[in-house]
Amino acid sequence: MKIDQMTMEDIKSGLERKKFTAQELVAGVYKKIDEVEDKVGAYITLSQDLAIKQAKDIDSAMDRGENVGPLAGMPIAIKDNICTEGIKTTCASKMLHDFIPPYDATVVKKLKDAGAIIIGKTNMDEFAMGSSTENSAFKVTKNPWRLDRVPGGSSGGSAAAVAAGMAFMALGSDTGGSIRQPAAFCGVVGLKPTYGLVSRYGLVAFASSLDQIGPITKSVKDCALTLDVIQGKDPKDATTVDVRNTSSYLREIEKGIEGLKIAIPREFFPGSLDSQISNEIMESMFMLKGLGATIDEISLPITDEGLSAYYIISSAEASSNLGRFDGIKYGYRSENYADIEELILNSRTEGFGIETKRRIMLGTYTLTSGYYDAYYNRAQKVREKIKQQFKEIFSKYDLIISPTSPVLPFPIGEKIGNPLDMYLSDIYTISANLAGIPAISLPCGFCQEGLPIGLQIIGGPFSESKIFRAAYALEQELGLGNGVAVIKEAKK
Amino acid sequence: MKIDKEEVMYIAKLAKLKFSDEDAGELAIEFEGILKHFDSLKETEQDIKDIELEEESNMELREDVVEIFEDSEKLFSNVKDIDRGYVRIPKVID
Repeated sequence: MKIDQMTMEDIKSGLERKKFTAQELVAGVYKKIDEVEDKVGAYITLSQDLAIKQAKDIDSAMDRGENVGPLAGMPIAIKDNICTEGIKTTCASKMLHDFIPPYDATVVKKLKDAGAIIIGKTNMDEFAMGSSTENSAFKVTKNPWRLDRVPGGSSGGSAAAVAAGMAFMALGSDTGGSIRQPAAFCGVVGLKPTYGLVSRYGLVAFASSLDQIGPITKSVKDCALTLDVIQGKDPKDATTVDVRNTSSYLREIEKGIEGLKIAIPREFFPGSLDSQISNEIMESMFMLKGLGATIDEISLPITDEGLSAYYIISSAEASSNLGRFDGIKYGYRSENYADIEELILNSRTEGFGIETKRRIMLGTYTLTSGYYDAYYNRAQKVREKIKQQFKEIFSKYDLIISPTSPVLPFPIGEKIGNPLDMYLSDIYTISANLAGIPAISLPCGFCQEGLPIGLQIIGGPFSESKIFRAAYALEQELGLGNGVAVIKEAKK
Repeated sequence: MKIDKEEVMYIAKLAKLKFSDEDAGELAIEFEGILKHFDSLKETEQDIKDIELEEESNMELREDVVEIFEDSEKLFSNVKDIDRGYVRIPKVID
């Protein structure tokens, strides 16, 4: 088997049986990057020297028979809004173009302690604001399945890197679908964990009441393996909780789904939905039924109000979180200023891209006195209503299944000029963030053009184990879970 | 909701951002579209009028213990202009 075809499981057993060394593995990944990165553009920064050194250390430790971590020698990538000590962390923004964090995010520290090797930092929409990775200040990432299509976003670089065989796992962050939608577009697996399961210390904040970090991998098992490593309470993130209700997500994954009650919300399948998407989801549904789950159609209105509430709350929080970028302590500083006021104004105006400015403006507007009650307060109430709806459903059902995205990977440039159209593509993913509940996207088939289709499984708070069991059972039945994209040039 | 250029300029001032006249005009048009969509919230008045927002407090705070931090050089490694351990900015008071 070629290295780029392998899953994390394959790598683990290969290293343990000494079929290859960590150094050979790392060299293999950079060779793959040399071959395809020019076309895909998944990375902002590569950390080759550090990775080679780390691989040497792992090999020596293994030779000495030392106890190495569960991810020893595993080449991984990190979204560029998660701090990595000594490696540039830009958030794909001119504002942080030269920012080198003096510390590791908790998740990065945990991955390093487990023996994982960081290959590089992946491209994204600036400050994670976007659904196509076209909002990066540095480059546009292409979908490895077809280079004229977007990879989704905002964690598009992470999803594309895994899909193209340039990393075996990549961390993403998900505020309204930013892990799941790119995973769906790139034919890989992506999990947004329950709010509070994974520490955000060291994640550059976008909307703090919604943000979660999670893994993007080729298979469901790899996703569970990574969550086992990164989850857990962190004194440095007060929103994290200690709720470990399983010894290991990975160990429980093969328990099957006999007797699981699954709900399908009919509102997620409107007549206007692409029939290729609904057909693939329905086929998966029959498979799950065949595996012993019960399936019921239910009502869960997904309405414009939910999407509006999401954009109001996330923009309001962003306008506050991004207030820290002032060109003084770190980040971009304008060269043109006469006084402190102008320094801040010009640094922010020159440093932020258009979508980031749009969200800061929207957030500032909806928080302005006179509009606060009409927008922000009302949005919070809609959020509470959505939470209650999910609570009600999860008192009767184990899981909800839906498409991850209402659209297939769209052509680069198609939606960039129309922000509202872009926002509407998040309609199926935002509710899990508003309710703080976990959700996974896994590939369930391909459309006629050969582009992947993603299926979303949503669960109640801290039900990751159940989600993994269902996702794994379905993945096995579908025979997907280790594919690497065959890179196709854009049609002329 | 009608948004004009002046309102965009006012919000920009609050957000510490600068827009050209032309950009502000474009933003005003975009905002109108987005805010029109946000108006869907008003249709939910009946559904949400009884919802009370409670301050959630399941956060566990750690003990407030003093820790000595000595690596200030590392902490200031991204500062653009530094002088004897202080961040230098333009003169604020004449």
